[in-house]
Amino acid sequence: MSAMPWPVDPPALRKLGESHEAVVERDLLATLDPLGRRGRVWIAGLASVVGCALVAWIYQLVHGLRVTDMGNVVSWGTYMTNFVFFIGISHAGTLISAILRVTDAGWRRPITRMAEAITCIALLVGASMVVIDMGRPDRALNLLLHGRFQSPILWDLVSVTTYLTGSFFYLYVAMIPDMPLLAKHAREHGRSPRLVRMYEILSLGYRESPEHRRLLARALGAMAVIIIPVAISVHTVVSWVFGMTLRPGWHSTIFGPYFVIGAIFSGTAALITAMVIFRKAYHLEAYLRPEHFHKLSKILLALSLLYAYFTLSEYLTTWYGGTEIDVRLLALLAGNGTVGAVFWLWATFGLFVPIGLLLFPSKRSMGSIMTASILINIGMWVKRYLIIVPTLETPFIPAQNAGITPHYFPSLIECTITAGAFAGFVLLYILFSRIFPILSIWETAEELEEVEHATVRAPVKMPGRAMPAALPLLLVAVGLSVLSPWTTARAQAPAAPASTTHIDLKRTTEDKEEMLVATVTANGRPVAGAVVVFSVLRKFGTMALGEDQTLSDGTAAVKYPHGLPGDSHGEQTFSIEVRSPPALAVPPVQVILGGAEPVRITPVEVPRALWSTRVPLALVGTIMALLLCVWSTYGFVVSQLVAMYRLPKEG
Amino acid sequence: MYMTIQRRQFLKAGMVVAGGAAAGMLTRSHAATDESTKSSGRPAGEATLALTAEGDLVLASAPSGASSHASDEARRGVPGKKWVMVIDLAACDGCGKCSAACSKSHFVPADREYLRIFKMQDSADTAPYWLPRPCFHCDNPPCARVCPVGATFKRDDGIVLIDNERCIGCRFCMAACPFTARSFNWSRPDNSPAAEAKGYSPEWGYPRRVGTAEKCDFCADMAREGKLPHCSGTCPMGAIYFGDENEDAVTNSKGDTVQLSKLLRDRAGFRYMEDLGTQPRVHYLPPADRRYPAPGERGANTLNASKGATQR
Repeated sequence: MSAMPWPVDPPALRKLGESHEAVVERDLLATLDPLGRRGRVWIAGLASVVGCALVAWIYQLVHGLRVTDMGNVVSWGTYMTNFVFFIGISHAGTLISAILRVTDAGWRRPITRMAEAITCIALLVGASMVVIDMGRPDRALNLLLHGRFQSPILWDLVSVTTYLTGSFFYLYVAMIPDMPLLAKHAREHGRSPRLVRMYEILSLGYRESPEHRRLLARALGAMAVIIIPVAISVHTVVSWVFGMTLRPGWHSTIFGPYFVIGAIFSGTAALITAMVIFRKAYHLEAYLRPEHFHKLSKILLALSLLYAYFTLSEYLTTWYGGTEIDVRLLALLAGNGTVGAVFWLWATFGLFVPIGLLLFPSKRSMGSIMTASILINIGMWVKRYLIIVPTLETPFIPAQNAGITPHYFPSLIECTITAGAFAGFVLLYILFSRIFPILSIWETAEELEEVEHATVRAPVKMPGRAMPAALPLLLVAVGLSVLSPWTTARAQAPAAPASTTHIDLKRTTEDKEEMLVATVTANGRPVAGAVVVFSVLRKFGTMALGEDQTLSDGTAAVKYPHGLPGDSHGEQTFSIEVRSPPALAVPPVQVILGGAEPVRITPVEVPRALWSTRVPLALVGTIMALLLCVWSTYGFVVSQLVAMYRLPKEG
Repeated sequence: MYMTIQRRQFLKAGMVVAGGAAAGMLTRSHAATDESTKSSGRPAGEATLALTAEGDLVLASAPSGASSHASDEARRGVPGKKWVMVIDLAACDGCGKCSAACSKSHFVPADREYLRIFKMQDSADTAPYWLPRPCFHCDNPPCARVCPVGATFKRDDGIVLIDNERCIGCRFCMAACPFTARSFNWSRPDNSPAAEAKGYSPEWGYPRRVGTAEKCDFCADMAREGKLPHCSGTCPMGAIYFGDENEDAVTNSKGDTVQLSKLLRDRAGFRYMEDLGTQPRVHYLPPADRRYPAPGERGANTLNASKGATQR
């Protein structure tokens, strides 16, 4: 447990002789008081931006994605940038809350809930961005009906769903001890009975008792541990949407960790920004104190250095290696054009300036930390844009070679929807803070109990009761019904020509060489000096084999086409034509001869491959095993909550 | 005819809900049988809806699922075939007739091309040449790998197709294709009456649907009938060969049918960007001893300059 003198009680309240807990309770519940005029104006403003975005989305649904500036070359843009950005922001909750909880850092207490709420809300907004980017959102159900586990999008779907579920659990479990307080507070302040009822239901009958505490600690401990790998997997998988392609700038082995670090980096910056705003808006100066900002700023500094390191290793190796396509990408990304200017602006103001602001402890102030955080937030959006768009502008075969100039700049609709996403994020965050105190009351108060009465950390055990992986994992079993046997349409010899000329075809061996011998007879007598053209039928035409003049015995011969496959029975249709003399000329006669090498038809069984309809077993097995681990832990957490609910009620 | 259209509109209206799926499937397969028996007077395209293979009535598998999907036949391809294309870069003069014929027959809107001609020059010291790029129908297709719903799929006969009745429009395939071979229906398509009348199959890709991806389909329906794809059949230089790899023969518009293995061996055939490992089904013959003015030379063709304005 931290021995920090925390929280420092507001001196004015101290005088009244109130207990610490009472002060904390009152201060933090005060954040739920009805909003003033300014607050209401803010909410109305944000809601109208969200409304505009909804109208823009409906417009897009009606007219198709043509209303964006995306095209067949640059086929992803702002929406995907938003998706990566918001999923990145969602990592705030994991780092601060889970890592600090697992490492038992006492100072985390007033900020965990803010972080966890960012996670949940950012995930909702981020997931909605994918739906907005889809050409056919009405077919989203196909992901369940026909989902292919070979696609990183399915990995995304599964991991984001798992993360979202886990984040809501995690946020909720940590809120349970506040629920009875909230119910009491709402009742006393004459709030709607429905709200009171909701708090009561959510409290699961929690009260301060050793048994309740023990169950809560176990649930929270398990959640804090499991949510860390889940969060890492989420942003790894998001990076793999890009990393698994063959595109320059995307197909990078460090993309997983690069994105994870970037996510935690932007998430921490978002958390600091939120703390600054709420501190001022809800007068929480006594709780969100400079030392919190200082501690977080150290984490932010470490992350910004890490991000700079990853950026350097990514681009330096690409540049030094200097393959043609990489050089072309870097020329666009860091060159003289607009994109290059944006890149260097990002590197300066999104990375170096924040590092400078955070580097020297003596120079670190609330103002500089806040400036750094906001710059990082903007910068990380820009960076995601710089990851997505320039790569798409650099296809292997330059579009310029076909007279096409790839270009992309967010359209008005895209800007409106993006503004709506940000406004929606802030709005949901404010609304959350209107219903639940944004600072955890019980955890903040807990810090005051200086005694060894500290909570016993739940031993992190794997659950005794496994819950079936509940995700709707629908694998499309492609029933391969038996192919109807294919029979090559055998060319039939056309009806004998009216002429009396007759052609006979044989395959013989002369001087150890296999020959195709045609015998031309007219009125039963061999014809000498006739030019015979040999060819063999293929699907789209006749392949010439050669021509020969008949000898006195009426035979003409060409080499037998060795190695040329026949049909499945080894039969081939030859086409024989007598071209001259004109008197004897006959249209091509088709003759079927056997004995050719039968066509080699590759087995029709669909392999288990990344591209096929059948999923490789190792892949689906790994995914299922990971899901089972995570969801059974969720099951364990639920079992603890159920046990809590079943404990004897007070009174 | 009237019945068919009515049924299609019925489906289009999204009235077939999952609840009635089982019953619906039964009635639908019966309906298909009835139609196929009286389909003689209808356009050729309707025949595939009746699921006939080479004239045999194979109605074992009607379109499955509650939503309409590509028939099994269109998903599996022509049994025993492995379609392959060879493009002779020494013969291509960049005239663009292949692309025009393709666009015309597929009703391709002006903002895209299935077959795009690039003006290439590998280095300053090497001669420029034209590179016609259809879809490569890779044997290890990056697009089919990443498709989350199996809307793009590889058939047994080698063709990679898109089912625009299943596509969710995520455009991952477009990002994954290293050759930018795919296009997207960004706006609501303006399907011609002819396109509407033929009815949809992934084998020809129209009528188009908004918010779905599309690309060169190797003229899967033409190959089935033993006809060369439009690009190959049109090329005035005979530069585009098409055939069946199993038969070891390819044919061009001049009627030259040549042994595939011999052609590739003798002319040093190669596949574009072999190092990416996608294993294209389109081979190129190097632009050695060209029989045309190279790009930039006197009398050479030029790219359509208006493209830049309409295509992105």
